Amino acid sequence: MKNIALGQYYPAKSPIHRLDPRIKVILAILYIICATFLGKNIVSFGLLLVSALALIVMGRIPLRTVLRGIVPVLFVMAFAALFQVFGRSGEMLIFEWRFIHIYGEGLFAALFMIIRIFALIVGTSMFLTYTTTPIELTDAIEDLLSPLKKLKVPVHDFAMMMTLALRFIPTLVEETEKIMTAQKARGADFSSGSLVKRAKALIPVLIPLIVSAIRHAVELAVAMECRCYHGDGKRTRMTVRRCRVWDFVALVIMIAFGAALVYFNILGIGYSL
Amino acid sequence: MAEISLREVSFRHGKGTPYEICALDKITLDIAPGVITGIIGHTGSGKSTLVELFNGILKPAEGRVLIDGEDIWAKPKEIRKVRFRVGLVMQYPESQLFEETIRQDIAFGPKNMGLSDKEIERRVVEAARFVGLDEELLEKSPFDLSGGQKRRAAIAGIIAMRPDVLVLDEPAAGLDPVGRESIFANIVEYKEKTGSTVVIVSHSMEDMARYCDRVVVMSGGKMIMNGSRDEVFSQSASLEGAGLDIPQITKLMTLLRDRGIDVDQSIYTSEKAYEEIMKLFAKKG
Amino acid sequence: MDLPFIKVENVSYSYRGEGDAAIRVIKELSLEIDEGEFVAVLGHNGSGKSTLAKLLNMILTPASGKIFIEGKDITDENMSEEEIFALRKNVGMVFQNPDNQLVATIVEDDVAFGPENLGVPSQEIRRRVDEALSKVGMTEYAHHEPHRLSGGQKQRVAIAGIMAMLPKCIIFDESTAMLDPIGRREVMSAIKKLNSEMGITVIMITHYMDEAAMANRVVVLDDGRIALDGTPSEVFEKEELLRSMGLDVPQCTALVHRLRRAGIALEGECTDPEKCADLIATALGKELGNG
Repeated sequence: MKNIALGQYYPAKSPIHRLDPRIKVILAILYIICATFLGKNIVSFGLLLVSALALIVMGRIPLRTVLRGIVPVLFVMAFAALFQVFGRSGEMLIFEWRFIHIYGEGLFAALFMIIRIFALIVGTSMFLTYTTTPIELTDAIEDLLSPLKKLKVPVHDFAMMMTLALRFIPTLVEETEKIMTAQKARGADFSSGSLVKRAKALIPVLIPLIVSAIRHAVELAVAMECRCYHGDGKRTRMTVRRCRVWDFVALVIMIAFGAALVYFNILGIGYSL
Repeated sequence: MAEISLREVSFRHGKGTPYEICALDKITLDIAPGVITGIIGHTGSGKSTLVELFNGILKPAEGRVLIDGEDIWAKPKEIRKVRFRVGLVMQYPESQLFEETIRQDIAFGPKNMGLSDKEIERRVVEAARFVGLDEELLEKSPFDLSGGQKRRAAIAGIIAMRPDVLVLDEPAAGLDPVGRESIFANIVEYKEKTGSTVVIVSHSMEDMARYCDRVVVMSGGKMIMNGSRDEVFSQSASLEGAGLDIPQITKLMTLLRDRGIDVDQSIYTSEKAYEEIMKLFAKKG
Repeated sequence: MDLPFIKVENVSYSYRGEGDAAIRVIKELSLEIDEGEFVAVLGHNGSGKSTLAKLLNMILTPASGKIFIEGKDITDENMSEEEIFALRKNVGMVFQNPDNQLVATIVEDDVAFGPENLGVPSQEIRRRVDEALSKVGMTEYAHHEPHRLSGGQKQRVAIAGIMAMLPKCIIFDESTAMLDPIGRREVMSAIKKLNSEMGITVIMITHYMDEAAMANRVVVLDDGRIALDGTPSEVFEKEELLRSMGLDVPQCTALVHRLRRAGIALEGECTDPEKCADLIATALGKELGNG
C-alpha cells in the first residue's frame, strides 16, 4: 500500500506541467467559466471540443489515462444526454413513436451537454490534477489567497494543515491496513453480518487508528518545533515562483479563447441553442 | 502440533496497478512442527508476506497453503477458523490494543471464537502468565502500561486463542537488551510447555542464532536457504550476499581466518567460539 | 574563557505519574560535552536517556539545575522567542520514528523546511538543501515522495533536514531503533560522517552496543544518574555492571573478556570484531614466536 497515489499527478515534462501553478489555477477557473457559460452554438462547442483535445495533447498525458478518469462520470453524461434527447421539444421532429418524440434540438442539446461535461473534466484535470502536484496546488492557493492575510484570515495555517494532511494520508492508510490485518488475525470479521454488526466491527480498527494519529500529531509537533517552526512569521521559501513569459502567453491565449467563443456566439453561425 | 506447508506459492502485491510487484515466487516450504523456525530476510524480501499467507490474511495467487495436509482455501468461508489455528502477532503489535482494560483486550480473540465466559477467563489468565504479565495489570488501561508491557499484552491476545502455530513478526523490535532477552525467553518457555509450532520473523541474526532450531532465509521473494540453524549459519557468505548481518561471532571467525588462523568457519555462538579459541591457545601455549 | 560546549549542572526532572505522584527521571545529573565530541548515551528503557535529550533541546525544562550551551543558560525563562530559535537551531534533533518528523510531501521541500522557518534567503536555502542531501547520499531522491522511501532513507532525509539548519550539534534519539540492519548501517555511516568530516558534535541515544562502540565516549545512564562515563573500551570493561543495568556488551567483547578471565593475555581494545580479531591474532602470533 506504499504505492497509494496522491491525487492523480502524472509526472511528465509538458508545456502545461511547466506552467506556474498559480497561473494554472487561474486558467482552470477561466476554462470552467468558458465551458459552463460560453458554449452557445455548433461553432463554439466545436471550439470547446478542439480545445479540450488540444489540452490533452499538450499535457502529454496518455489518452487512456484521461479516458479512465472520465469513466466514473459516464453515467452522469449519459443521463444528462438522455434527458436532453427525450425531454426537449422543438421544431425539427425526427422520430415519433407513441408518446416518444425526438427532436433535432434535443439531439443537439445532448451533444452539447456531452461536450460541455467532457471539456469541464478535461480542463480541470489537465490544468490541476494531472499536471500539478497536490503540494504545488496548496502553495498556489496559499499565494492566490494571500491578500486575505491582511483581513487576518489564517491562510498560511490552512495551507500548512493541507500539506500535513497530504503528507500523512499514505501513512494512515498504511496503518489502517496493518491494524485491520492484526484484528483479522484475532478473528475480527469485517465483511459479513448486518450493517450495524459491520460498523461495530470497525471499533477495534478506529480506536487504535485514532490513538496512532494523535501520537503522530504530538510527535510531529515536537519535531516541527525542533526545526524552529513558528507559523507564518518570518518564513522564507526555497522556491520563489516567478511567472515567466510563457505563463503570460498562456493567460492571453485563454482570454483570447474566451473572446473567440463570445464572438462566434454573437455571429450566430450554424445551429444555436 | 500442526504442520504448515506451502506448495509452489506465488503472491503479487498491487495486482493490476502500475506498481505491481512479485512479492513471492514459487515458494515450497514445510514448517516443522513442534520447533521454533526463524524466517530472516531484509525489508522487502517477502518474509512478512509469507507469514500473512500462513493464516489466510493473504490468498496466494498461485499454489496452495496446507495445514496438516488440508488446503486452507478449500472452504474460503471458513478462513477465520484458520486464523485461530495459526496465531499471527504482527510487528509492533502494541498498536492494536483497543479495549478499556488489558483483560478485555486479551479476551478479544477468544470472544471471536465464540467461547464461554468461563473458558475465556481461564485463557486470559493463562496467556498473561505465559508472557509474564502480572495479574494486577489486567485491570489497567493499555495507556497506563509501559511499551514493553503493552507488547506482552498484545502477544497474550494471540496466545489466548491457543493456536497450534504461533507466528511472531519481529517480536523484540525496539526493545532494550533485557527486554529482548525476556520476550524470547517467554516464547521459548511457551513452546516447551505447549509443544506448539513457533515461527519467528526477524532480521536480527544474533537472536535467530540463539533461539531458533531451524532457519529459512528469504531474499527478493525467493527462499534461498532452509535448514537447521547449524546448516544455515555455516554459510555466512550467502547470508551476507542476501544483505543480512551475520552474527558478530561468525564475523570474528572470518576475520581470524583472514589473519591466517585456522578456525572452524561454521561457528556462530560465543560458547563454541570460546572453546575453539581456547583450544588454539592450549595447542600453542 | 574555556567553557565546554554543553554543560549540564545538577539537573533534575520529574513528570507526573499516576495519582499525581512526581516520578523523578533525571536526578541531579551533571555532564559536560565538548565541541566535536561523538557521545553515545546508553541506558535501558526508562533510564532517563530520552528525557535528557529533550532537556538539551528545550522541549522540556528542568525542575532544578541549569543547562548551558556555549555558555548561554538555556533554562532561563525570560528568553525571547528569537533567542530560543537561535539556540534550537544550534542543537538539532533526529527522532526515533522517521514518519513523524517529515513534514512535506517532497523530499527536498522537507529538507528546506528548517531553513525556511529561520528566514534564510531562498538561494542560500537551495544551496544548503543540495549540500545536505548530497552529504547523506540522497541527492537522487530529491524529488521523491517520503512515503515511498525505506526507513533508512527517510531517516537520512530527516538528518539532512536538520543539517540544513547548520547546527553545531545533533542529538539522535534512538534514531535507528525502528530500522532494519541495512537502514541502521546507512544511518550510522551518515552520523559518523557528520562528526568526522564536518565536526558536528553528536549525541547519540541508543541501546545498541555495537553503535555505541563507534562513539568516542560512552555515557551510561541508570535510574536518572550517570553510572559510567568513558571511552567505549573503558565502559565495556564493566561487563557485569552493564548487565546489572539491563545492558549488554557486544558478543565479541564478551568473548575477549571471557578469554582474559581464563588467563589469556589479550591487551588492548576489544570493542568491535576487527579489534578482537587483531588481539587474538597477535596473542597467538606472539606465543608462536616464543615457542
